[in-house]
Amino acid sequence: MSYVCLWSPAWPIGAAFDADLAPALLACAPRVVVGDDNRIWIDARGLHAAQLAEQLLTVVRAHGVPHVRAGTALTPIAAECAAAHSPSTLTVVKPGTDREFIAPFLVSVLEPDLHLAELLEGLGIDTVGRFAALDAESIELRLGLDGVRLWSRARAEDDRWFFNTPLRALPSASLEWMEYALRDSERLLFVINSLLASVCTALVAQGERAREISIVFSLAGKTQYTHTLRSSRPTADQKRWLRLVRDALDQLTLPDAVMGIALSVDAITGNDGAQGDLFDRGFASADAVEIMLADLEDDQGDAVVAPSSTAHPLPERRTRWVAESPAHYLSRGMRGASLPLSARPSTTPELTLQLLSQPQAIVVDTATRRDHEVPVRYRDDDGWHDLVDVAGPDRVSGGEWESAFAREYFKCVREDGMLVWMFVAKDGRVTQPTDGAKDHWWFLQGWWD
Amino acid sequence: MPATAADLSSLRSILEQRFPDATPVTHRTTDQVASGISQLDRALPSGGFPRGRLSVWAPLGGATAILRAACYAITAAGERAAWIDGEHTLTSHSWIDGPALIKPTTRRNALRAAEEILRSGGFALVVMSGTEPVGSEAVRLTRAAREGGAALVSLTSASAMSSLRVSSQLDPRGYTWHRTPFGEPAVAHDVLVRVRARAMGWNAHTQFLVPVLHHELRLSLEPGLADRRGVRR
Repeated sequence: MSYVCLWSPAWPIGAAFDADLAPALLACAPRVVVGDDNRIWIDARGLHAAQLAEQLLTVVRAHGVPHVRAGTALTPIAAECAAAHSPSTLTVVKPGTDREFIAPFLVSVLEPDLHLAELLEGLGIDTVGRFAALDAESIELRLGLDGVRLWSRARAEDDRWFFNTPLRALPSASLEWMEYALRDSERLLFVINSLLASVCTALVAQGERAREISIVFSLAGKTQYTHTLRSSRPTADQKRWLRLVRDALDQLTLPDAVMGIALSVDAITGNDGAQGDLFDRGFASADAVEIMLADLEDDQGDAVVAPSSTAHPLPERRTRWVAESPAHYLSRGMRGASLPLSARPSTTPELTLQLLSQPQAIVVDTATRRDHEVPVRYRDDDGWHDLVDVAGPDRVSGGEWESAFAREYFKCVREDGMLVWMFVAKDGRVTQPTDGAKDHWWFLQGWWD
Repeated sequence: MPATAADLSSLRSILEQRFPDATPVTHRTTDQVASGISQLDRALPSGGFPRGRLSVWAPLGGATAILRAACYAITAAGERAAWIDGEHTLTSHSWIDGPALIKPTTRRNALRAAEEILRSGGFALVVMSGTEPVGSEAVRLTRAAREGGAALVSLTSASAMSSLRVSSQLDPRGYTWHRTPFGEPAVAHDVLVRVRARAMGWNAHTQFLVPVLHHELRLSLEPGLADRRGVRR
């Protein structure tokens, strides 16, 4: 960081002030701050400080400001001394020599308060250099914390920062109620929706999009429960946030009734567009896809699903299909290209098991193979199918405490090449009509495709 | 007066401009979505499934395996793929994270989902299985595919409105088996798949081996008990 300090004993004020001066200064450097005691500070970071100072002096003089001086340095105190206390019009403090530069000046350039100034005078410290030469412990002991701060500045360790951008409060909204307590998610959603409306309106007004929003539930037991929502894409769209809230409330179990809700934006991004992924060829269409999936969800319910497998022995009970939110799909759906090769799903085609929604009753002709019967052909709605290869049986049984099952599975290749999976139920408790007087019931469970 | 070659050429270009959907895929006027299976891509007229067009693939015969692999290849390449499972036949055994899986509750919902997905413009490949669009439904989906630029593949035998027709068959004698000590088949290892691709002015065949993913039966007596087969005691 380097600073340029402009100083004049008498800046024009009131009617004498040239209104064009400020735009002219801002044309030279983007960040200009008016400081105390007739000083103007210019942020020279990334610029040639000496050339900038000369340019500023020219501009200021052209606008009729007399006796203006400029100083440039890496620290504010050195730039200040160079501008206000050096005799030359432009003083450039060589980088790394700030402390040496300010050492000869009187301690009054540090602008100590009256109490400190008296103490320093009492101690016989007259120059900045002599003050800086003391050790921190003795300064702290004699002059206290303010003295240490002044001592740091005397050592050209000046941490003043003139170009701070004020932090803008992130949008938030809250509502509390006393007479009743809410438990059901629909009413909570109603309240949150109204809070979201004001938060999203504020975001749109500021030209920002939220990445994270926290919901703080004030509970009846005088405790709070905080849940943070995160959108895959920063957005100020109320509908999209409401959908995330609805998903969260479906899964959330609050420990007590709710007597107040506060909604606050935790993280935002500007409207300048999200950072794209070089390998994400679908990045540009992500918003459109998310909106489409959300519409699909609104229209058809849980249409987009992902498998959740259990260890149940029966194939038809092993998989549960759970809804997948659009945000979740987008967050995982496009990462294929960025995954390491070993972690990517195989792109080699593989015949996998396809299941009928319910096992379909079939008629089977069997033949004896060693000590067991194997199917040789079967009949379904399409007629008879001869089998050219049969593997099995694989026996599975269990469920004695709920609904007992005992099955023998066969993998069979039909004459048309289709690999089908059938079983014979051995428990005698399957409520499926039988074909004739067969004591075993055969079912088609699925096929490989 | 007989038409000259130049006249025919200009007529063809006018027709292609006015009726782009009628242009055979062999003219390569559309982009394509490569399936990621080199043997198959070589057999397809434009090196993949044509974007913005309807392709049909006759069900069974390894169609699900091949199209699922194409979905994964597309996802791995950074694009999106969707699978509409109209008959709810897919199992967790046959599905891994990647493509969007839609399990609509009714046939109508399947068609509506397909149309919305196609129109969104965010998908490279959309596969419809278990729901066969007929008549005006096929027209509507073809239009949606053209608008969104996705390659639509329908697992159906009805080929109306399709630019590309593919069928595949598993060779019943092409299975490789791990056999039991008695010489009987135990576990199928792989199978030979024969694929035929047809379009206007195109008829190509290919064949390749496809592994068979073994479905492990869980032989534990109760669902709640851990399956300890193979665990050292």
